Amino acid sequence: MSPVSTLKTFEDIDCTFPKTLQEALELMADEKTRGVPLAGGTDLMVQWESGALPMPERVINVKSIPELREISEADNEVVIGGSVTHMELRQSSAVRRAVPSLAEAAATIGGFQIQIMGTLAGSVANASPAGDLAPSLLITDGTVTLAGVRGEREVKLTEFWKGYREIDRQPDELIVRFRLPRLPEGHYESWRKLGARKAQAISKVMGSSRGRMKDGVVSCFKVALGSIAPTAVRLYDVEQWIVGQPIHDETLKEAEQRVADAVKPIGDIRSTAEYRKWVSGRLVRLFLEELAARSG
Amino acid sequence: MNKITRSWIVNGEPREAEFAPVRRLLDVLREDLGLKGTKEGCGEGECGACTVIVNGQPVLACLMAAGQVEDQAEIVTVEGLEKTETGRILQQAYIEKGAAQCGFCIPGMIVSSYALLEQHAHPDAGLIRESHAGNICRCTGYEKIVEAIQTAAERRAGNTGS
Ligand SMILES: Cc1cc2nc3c(=O)[nH]c(=O)nc-3n(C[C@H](O)[C@H](O)[C@@H](O)COP(=O)(O)OP(=O)(O)OC[C@H]3O[C@@H](n4cnc5c(N)ncnc54)[C@H](O)[C@@H]3O)c2cc1C
Ligand code: FES
Ligand code: FES
Repeated sequence: MSPVSTLKTFEDIDCTFPKTLQEALELMADEKTRGVPLAGGTDLMVQWESGALPMPERVINVKSIPELREISEADNEVVIGGSVTHMELRQSSAVRRAVPSLAEAAATIGGFQIQIMGTLAGSVANASPAGDLAPSLLITDGTVTLAGVRGEREVKLTEFWKGYREIDRQPDELIVRFRLPRLPEGHYESWRKLGARKAQAISKVMGSSRGRMKDGVVSCFKVALGSIAPTAVRLYDVEQWIVGQPIHDETLKEAEQRVADAVKPIGDIRSTAEYRKWVSGRLVRLFLEELAARSG
Repeated sequence: MNKITRSWIVNGEPREAEFAPVRRLLDVLREDLGLKGTKEGCGEGECGACTVIVNGQPVLACLMAAGQVEDQAEIVTVEGLEKTETGRILQQAYIEKGAAQCGFCIPGMIVSSYALLEQHAHPDAGLIRESHAGNICRCTGYEKIVEAIQTAAERRAGNTGS
């Protein structure tokens, strides 16, 4: 065997094109036909090309499985198929009503071409700490549904990212859909990505919040940040502390400090970690200010 | 690898190609179908030089597995633009405004412009910039490209009365 024969190219990868979810799950069930799910390819094609990931024997095209392409609205939630693209997220009136920060986040991903190709499940499964959609998913307290031939399994999004680039998925499972509780009446969401220019990618921090003010105090607040830890994180301690507080200069300062203390940024360079703590605090302060302003 | 066959409408003409399913659309277009106008800049999704239109949507041919483009799909590459009124108006405006310098980004850039004008007859400067953010140009500073697209949009609207 010549060593050259082990050098794979895109042309060596086999691919199946299931027409239905059932067909896809049957292919996934058997190790001999199982493949790496390929959606938009905007992560996989780059990772294979660069060598960050080895090229697999086989992929399975999940991009056009009809069941994964749907967006629907129920009473209290929006249900979004795994292969819904970032462009569809930002354009969907159902998504914009139910989880406005998710539509806003999708609109900041790459350029139009990447938004047209890339998908929600692809972003979630790629599980980069810098994935822009994770914070908006986390603040909904929603779920992701995975399917195998044995049946479906629903996992809380807050428990789905296990660690750095690690998700709670079995090898035979596909991400099918996301069920996201809609923004309740009187609540507001915010989204921001700071330091996102390529040259500053190292200091990128992004986040989302969902909250409400009633009788002059915060009655509900959920906030999640990305790019500061191996996975995007909810800041539960800060959330609990702010509930019941009015929003003014003093509480904003304290919130900022509590956020900086709560986050444990990745970043080998100390200044970067310190900077991220500071930016995280500013970001949450901004969200609270926006909440107060909108609640009038 | 088992090859697959796909029949597409490429620049208005039926074309058939046979390829390994994860062969990049870029290689199928350039090498198998001989359409060398589409360029490879970075090969990793960052520059937009490889932009082509599939079913009305601009995509990056360097990141797309050709097998994912289904039978009967309509593909437009830079070669197809001069067959269309929008494409001809854009080409003329790019030339008049001096929007092309070294020209490397232009095949992808003008394909993005075409996709935009086919969907939005009257784009404002913000939408023009946003829809071309995935196309990097090292030469022009974008100002002249935006002007060219604005000019093309006005002429196109004038011609069609829309
Ligand atoms: C130039 C460029 C700019 C980018 N900019 C941004 C940015 O600003 N913000 C950002 O967050 N991301 C960005 N990305 C990253 C990328 O676009 C996203 O992470 C996302 O769109 C990937 O989706 P995809 O469908 O292309 O995934 P793919 O590459 O197809 O797959 C990614 C992973 O998801 C898995 N997968 C896909 N679908 C399923 C499924 N149904 N079930 C189980 N597993 C599945 C795949 O097996 C793979 O592990 C950028 C990428 C590029 C190339
Ligand atoms: S060559 Fe495809 S984006 Fe650069
Ligand atoms: S004209 Fe040279 S890169 Fe755009």
